[in-house]
Amino acid sequence: MITPNIDALSLVELRYIARKQGIDDAEVLDREDLLEALQEMYEEMESNISGDGSVSSPFTQQRFMNTLVAHDSNDTMGTLPGVQCLPEGYSETRIHLLLKNPYWAHAFWSVCSTDIMKLEQSSASFSFFLRVSIHEASERNLEADSFDVDVSRTDTSWNINLPERGRVYSVSLHYKDTDGNTGRLCISDTVETPKSYWLDHVDALGKDERQFSLLFSSLVSKGGNMVENPLLREVVELLDERLGG
Amino acid sequence: MARNSIGLILNAHMPYVRHPEYPRFLEEDWLFEAIGETYLPLLRMLRRLRDEGVPFRITMSFSPTLCSMLSDPILQGRFTDYLRLHQELGEREMARCQREEQECLPLAKMYLNSINTNLQEYFETYQCNILTGFRDLEESGHVDLITTAATHAYLPLYSEYPSAINAQIELAVQSHINHFKRRPKGFWLPECGYFPGLEDYLQKEELAFFQLAAQSLILADQPVERGNYAPVACPNGVFGFARDFHLTNLVWSNAEGYPTDSNYREFYRDIGYDLPLDYIRQYIHAPEVRVFTGFKYYAITGKGNDKRFYHPERAARKVQEHAANFLYSVHQKGEKVAPLLDREPFYTLAFDAELFGHWWFEGIDWLEAVLRNAAKSNDVVFETQLDYLKRYPESQVLQPSLSSWGEGGYSDVWTDGVNVWIYRHLHKAIERMEELAIRFPDQSSLKQRFLNQAAREVLLAMASDWPFIIHNGTSSSYAEKRLRDHLGNFNVVYENMCKNAVNTEWLVKSEKRDIVFPDIDYNMFNLNSRRNRYNG
Repeated sequence: MITPNIDALSLVELRYIARKQGIDDAEVLDREDLLEALQEMYEEMESNISGDGSVSSPFTQQRFMNTLVAHDSNDTMGTLPGVQCLPEGYSETRIHLLLKNPYWAHAFWSVCSTDIMKLEQSSASFSFFLRVSIHEASERNLEADSFDVDVSRTDTSWNINLPERGRVYSVSLHYKDTDGNTGRLCISDTVETPKSYWLDHVDALGKDERQFSLLFSSLVSKGGNMVENPLLREVVELLDERLGG
Repeated sequence: MARNSIGLILNAHMPYVRHPEYPRFLEEDWLFEAIGETYLPLLRMLRRLRDEGVPFRITMSFSPTLCSMLSDPILQGRFTDYLRLHQELGEREMARCQREEQECLPLAKMYLNSINTNLQEYFETYQCNILTGFRDLEESGHVDLITTAATHAYLPLYSEYPSAINAQIELAVQSHINHFKRRPKGFWLPECGYFPGLEDYLQKEELAFFQLAAQSLILADQPVERGNYAPVACPNGVFGFARDFHLTNLVWSNAEGYPTDSNYREFYRDIGYDLPLDYIRQYIHAPEVRVFTGFKYYAITGKGNDKRFYHPERAARKVQEHAANFLYSVHQKGEKVAPLLDREPFYTLAFDAELFGHWWFEGIDWLEAVLRNAAKSNDVVFETQLDYLKRYPESQVLQPSLSSWGEGGYSDVWTDGVNVWIYRHLHKAIERMEELAIRFPDQSSLKQRFLNQAAREVLLAMASDWPFIIHNGTSSSYAEKRLRDHLGNFNVVYENMCKNAVNTEWLVKSEKRDIVFPDIDYNMFNLNSRRNRYNG
C-alpha cells in the first residue's frame, strides 16, 4: 500500500485526504486529530493486507502523487489504455543473481513445468535449495566455498547474504528428494563483490596523515556527516579500533 | 595562491512522459515545471552572464528522452497551454490578493512576471525549442554538452546484458548528435551508477569522461593518489571524475544544505492545495486532483505548519551570503588540500539540474552569484572536465569501485522490496529482444519498424525513473503502469514475430504514441552485428 508522509502535510492537505478517505468530521477536526485518525486508518488497512500482499477486506487503493495528495487511483488508472498483466514467471528453468551491495544479492528464478513434471514422476516428494558458491576473484572456475539455503517450492526469489568482500559469487538452484538424491537445475552468472584496498591496509592509512586528509576531506560534510556507504563505514570503524588500540 | 577549479556538471533529465490521448495529463506537468522553473530561468541566467562578459565554463548533460520531449511539437504546444493557463491564474491571483491577501500581491506579481517572461522567451527567443539556447551556449564556449543513457537506465543492474548497455549508450550518442549536431565527449552515468568495465562501452562511442559517486575512488582496490581532487584514468583511458561530497553537501542536503534556510521559499505550500476548490479547480487536474501551480507564498520558516510569508528581498540577501560562503569554503578547502597535491585541485560538483529553480527556488540566483563572484576572485575558477583534461592529460590509472549516489552507495534503491520484481521481466525482455535481433537481422519495411518499436519499448522500460518512483512511493501507480505497458507492448511484438507476423494497426498506433528515437536500429541488440560495425 502506498501511504503519504502525512506528518509533512498542511492542515488543508490533511483535510483533503481525510475527506477522500471518508473520515467523518474531516472539516472540523484539528491537525492532531486528523493525523491520529489517518494513522489509525492506515494501520487498519495495513493489517488487512495478508502476507502475500492481497487485501483481505475491501478498501480503495489510493494513489498518492508526487505532491503527496491522494486521489482515487481508479479515476485515472482505470481509464488509461492498455494496463498490462505480466506473467508471474517464464516457462524456463533459470536463475539470476543481482548484486544489491557488497553484502547482499537478490536471486530470482523460475522452474519450467516440464522439469517440475519430471521431478514429480521420479519422486513422491521433493524440495528445493539454493547453493551459494564462493570463488576467488582470480580463479573464477575454482569453487572455494559454498553454503546452502533451503527454499520452498513456491518461492521464486531470495535475498542472499554475501559473507566476504572481493569474492565472486554464483547461485544454483537444486532439488532434493526424500531418498536424499539431489541435483542441480540451473546456475546463475557470477557477480563480484567490491573490495577496498584500505580495508586491508587500514594501519597504513592511520599512520599517513596526508593520505587520510586527502581521502576523507572530500567525503565528510561541513556538519561532520560522512558519505553514506557500508564499506567506507567498515574502513572507518577499523581505523577507530586500531587508533583507539 | 593555488587555483581551485570547480567542474560543475548539471544533469537535465525527465522520463519520457507523453500522453496526447488526454487533453491534459498530470505527469506531463513534471516536464512543464522543469522547463518553466529550471531550464528557461537557467538559460536566461547563463546568457546574461555571457552577454556581460562574465567568464565561466560548465558542463550540462541532456538526457535523450528529455531532448525528445523538448523538441516534440505536441509537448511544445501543451507547454504553451500550461503557461497560458498559469498566466490566467496569475492574473486572477493578482485580483484576489489585491482584494483578500495583500501581503501576497508582490509575490503573485513576481510569479506572473516570470510566466510572462517565460512565454515571451519560449516563443520569440527559442521558437519553442529551448535546446537551441543550450546549443548556442556551447557554440559560444560557455557550456560543454554531454549525454547520458538513452532512457537514463541504471546501468549496473544490466551488466549481464552487454547488448542492452551498448544500446543505451550508442542510441544516446546518436540522439545527442541529432539534437546538438556534435558528438558528445562526456557521459553522465545515470544515478552515478558505475560497475568496473562500464568504461569499455563508453570508449567504443569515443566518450572521454564520466562522473562518479564520491566513494568510488577511496573504495577502489588500489590506493588513489590524489583523492577526489583529480580524475583517474580507467585502464582503457576513459576518465572518471568523482564528486566532492563535502562541497556538494553544502548545496544538496536536506539537513545541512543552503536550500534549507528558513528564509527561502517553501516548496510544499502552494495555492493548488491551500485555496478552496471552487477557486482553484480549473487550474488543477480533473476531477479534483490538487497539484502544484507554482504560486507559493510562504517561506520555509521551520518544521511546523505555521509558515511566514516569503520575502524575496530577505531570500536575496541569503543568496549572496550563501554564495560567498560557498566560495569561502572552496578557498578554505584549497588552502588545506593544495599543499598535499602535486597539481591544482579540481572539485567535481554534479547535480540534477532541476534542483536549481524547481526544488530550490533561489538556486539559480545562487549559482549566478557564485559564478559572478568566482569570476572576480583570484583563486576559484569554473572550468569543465575537458578543460582540465587538456591541462593535465596524464592521470593515475585506477579502476573505480562499484558505486552509485543512491542511498547506501550501491544498487539498494533500485532493488528494494517493492521494485526488485521488475528485473525478472526486464531481463527477460532484453533476452527476447536479443533473440529477435539475431533471428531477424537487417529487416526492412514493416518488420523493421515492428522490431524497432520492440527495441524502443525495452529501452523505455529500462528507465531508472520507474523503480526510483516505486521506491519512493510517489506516483508509483503511474510508474508501475508505464513499466507494465512497455513490457506488455514488447511482448506484442515478440509474440507476433514468433509467428512471423506484424500487427500493422498496433504498430502505427505505437509509433504515433512513442515518437522517441525515430532513428533507432533494433540491430543494436545483436552484438555480433555491432562488433562487425566497430571492426569494419
